[in-house]
Amino acid sequence: MTVDRVVNGFARGVFVFLYLPIVAVIVYSFNAAGTNTRFEGLTLQWYVELFQDAALMQTLQTSAIVAVITATVATIIGIMFALGIARYRGRGRASLLALIALPLIVPEIVLGVALLSVFSTTRIPLGIGTLVLGHLIVSLPLATLVLMSSAVMLDPSLPEAATDLGCTPWQTFTRVYFPLLRPAVVAAWLLSFTTSFSNIVMSTFLSGVGSTTLPLKIYSSLKTGLTPTINALGALLILLTLVIVLLVGVTQMRRILVESRG
Amino acid sequence: MKKLTTAAVGIVAVLALTSCSTGGSGDGASTELNVYAWADEIPQSVFDAFTEETGIKVNVDNFDSNETMISKLAAGNSGYDIVEPSQYAVQQLVGQDLIETLDKSKIEGIENLAPKFADPSYDPGLEHSVPWVWGTTGLLYNSACTGGEEITSWESLFDPKWKGKVNMLDNMLAAYIAGLQVNGYDADSTDEDEINAATESLIEQKPILSGYNSTNYGDLVASGDVCISEAWGGTSTAKIIEQNPDVHYVLPEEGGSLWVDGLSIAKGAPHQDAAYEFINFLLRPEIAAMATNDGGLASANAAAQEHVTDQGVLSNSAVYATDEEVANADFIVDPGEAMKYYQDGWTRVKAS
Amino acid sequence: MTSTTRAIQLGRKERPKRGSLLLLVPGIASVVLLGILPLFIVARNSFAVADNYGGITDGLTFDNYAKLLDPVYSKTLFYSLGLGVLNTVVCLVVGYITSYYIVSRPPNRQGFLLLLVIIPFWTDFLVRTFAWITILGSGGPIAGVLGVFGVAGFSLIPSNVAVVLGLLYSFLPTAIFPIYASMRSIDPSLKEAATDLGCGWWGVHRRVILPLTGPGILGAALLTFIPTMGVFVIPVLLGGGKDPLVGNLIVTLYTEFRNQPMGAAASMVLLLLMLISMVLVGLGLKRSSAKKGA
Repeated sequence: MTVDRVVNGFARGVFVFLYLPIVAVIVYSFNAAGTNTRFEGLTLQWYVELFQDAALMQTLQTSAIVAVITATVATIIGIMFALGIARYRGRGRASLLALIALPLIVPEIVLGVALLSVFSTTRIPLGIGTLVLGHLIVSLPLATLVLMSSAVMLDPSLPEAATDLGCTPWQTFTRVYFPLLRPAVVAAWLLSFTTSFSNIVMSTFLSGVGSTTLPLKIYSSLKTGLTPTINALGALLILLTLVIVLLVGVTQMRRILVESRG
Repeated sequence: MKKLTTAAVGIVAVLALTSCSTGGSGDGASTELNVYAWADEIPQSVFDAFTEETGIKVNVDNFDSNETMISKLAAGNSGYDIVEPSQYAVQQLVGQDLIETLDKSKIEGIENLAPKFADPSYDPGLEHSVPWVWGTTGLLYNSACTGGEEITSWESLFDPKWKGKVNMLDNMLAAYIAGLQVNGYDADSTDEDEINAATESLIEQKPILSGYNSTNYGDLVASGDVCISEAWGGTSTAKIIEQNPDVHYVLPEEGGSLWVDGLSIAKGAPHQDAAYEFINFLLRPEIAAMATNDGGLASANAAAQEHVTDQGVLSNSAVYATDEEVANADFIVDPGEAMKYYQDGWTRVKAS
Repeated sequence: MTSTTRAIQLGRKERPKRGSLLLLVPGIASVVLLGILPLFIVARNSFAVADNYGGITDGLTFDNYAKLLDPVYSKTLFYSLGLGVLNTVVCLVVGYITSYYIVSRPPNRQGFLLLLVIIPFWTDFLVRTFAWITILGSGGPIAGVLGVFGVAGFSLIPSNVAVVLGLLYSFLPTAIFPIYASMRSIDPSLKEAATDLGCGWWGVHRRVILPLTGPGILGAALLTFIPTMGVFVIPVLLGGGKDPLVGNLIVTLYTEFRNQPMGAAASMVLLLLMLISMVLVGLGLKRSSAKKGA
């Protein structure tokens, strides 16, 4: 059991590792020096500048809208695919799985440039819509793979039992499948949201007039140097996440994420 | 149910936003202008002043590189009116027929530009672009790190004495400025043998490099992780020098180079009238001075200099290099056919 | 009467199958329209000729592929493969241990821990990377602490250690999620039984948990290895950019070299290599499930 103790210690160390840069972001967001290379006492200046920066806030809004739509659509399509493939026993099952994972193995810049030419040939104007489509194709495989790992565990006799009890297919879904898949659904949504929210490469090629996302804005301002305002924004986003977690309620969160399979 | 509502709200939001971005086309009196520019090179205060005077709403998007901007325009139907290409990018945009030939009769104030930008080699007669801001490529060094030694030549970047303390810009054309000039050639060479000689120098240089970095090299020099770096003059370099008295920016005695970012009108721009109005607005001396006052960059507009509030900046070589300093500097123009010598060479440098 | 029962039975048997095919449609349509269709354009462009200004002409040539045979490209490829394997192994080991830790917590804590894993990734990627530069650089806390003990001049920026740390940081969640998912489905009584039979920590893991987590580990390996090939910001910012990866190469071809056809050819080669590795992993999966069945 001493091995267990070492393993536990190591795993706790992993969580420290995950939060090291986050702590650095928060600490340096109060740094009076205009650079990350020195620390010169505390200031709230960067937070003030952040809220005065209307352009930056606009990009944050764009990113949030795109990420919410992308994650929701990817999760819905992912649920359908996962349930479908879990019950599908026909030929070509492996090829279908490979197909859905395909976008993962294409370097994003290749897909981004190619999608740009697809959209320009079909005269689809670049904007939030094309951003969602581009982000969808990179987050869909992740969402689907997460959902599939749960869906294949479902008892195949469940839907029949539900139908016997007089459930319509929709009721079967909402009353039987969804509660059972809920942890995976939440995990898939979070993963897609994160993927979309932090995407740079797809956004570079697929954003249009007035739809610059936050990572794009940050990436393009690298030439003049990142300001601590960006740290302040990062710190605020973490804070916002924690507030949401608290609002939804830690107990609720537990229930959503952990209770599974009945 | 909640999910459905969220989804519905989302979809409505998309429709609302896309209708905004596609609307407002047509040739009549424009009420909107779409600008695609380098981040912070046209300060927000300029856009605000323009909107206040004309009532035209400006949508601003930023790009991270000329190449990104070009690929967006090349896809067609981008919706942008004004783009802000660097000098060699103007040549590429013209070559691909992606920007309009400017109608000079609609432009006022072009005589305000500094003489060195009035008829540049990359765009003779300023047929396609109006220079807005400019800067140099030179050397950034930390005198505490070099032990007080002054750095004046590209040769320092190739000197084994500074092994592990030297940084090069992670950019092919920029790296070849140093590679070519250290061999005594022009930075815009198109000669195969000269380019090959530069390639050999760059390969030889690689073991003494700390790295290739064109992002946060300023911080690396300020912190002393790197003693000497090839560098672009401009806002961030000036900021680092101001914060750390040990850091200096110089143009190398071999000449260095000049860069210019200017304003062009995208082919088929939906709001052409507003675009000309915007260019004329930016040619006014007091507006052009805002590039220096609020953006920290050198304006290509000579008449703007008297409107610069901090006159000291005019002799700060990290921003306004003097005419003597840039006397031997080359414009980096598009190498055209010779591009392949650069590419083959740079591939060999990177893989060595 | 009999015919109705038969109809019901038939209906019951067939409905799930037809229904499940319909369920697959949106997913397949998305991948075909947004993934495969663009890839056809890439495939076509890989045989085209680039003009001097970065455009694409209609020509047909194999030059772009022939040029990739140059040893300078294979060097980049092997370096990337090596770094990809290293990163995958590191992520799998750390991900496995972390997943085991999460799974062995009380059920009502596990969700919270998973959330803790993903929250850091809601700050911008570049902001996180710059935070690592601050932490590992000469002005950072590590250098400060070492300075107190008289060790001067500490800096891991740029270094290969920093690249490995940065890659681990970026891909750890994608490794943890699939491993955790398959580990959680293991019946805890199996572990108890193995312990009762005298298996130590290593024995339990080698004989029970590791084999049963196999599919999750393979999934995690794919999700880590493949995207590592496309990485291009981390090696430059943390590693000094002296050893380019395949990702850097493709980005350079597409942007700085404005040679889309050659970039497309490099992408097609990479794609092929990835497909082969996926097939190999798929075969591995089949063999492991066959073993389990036996």
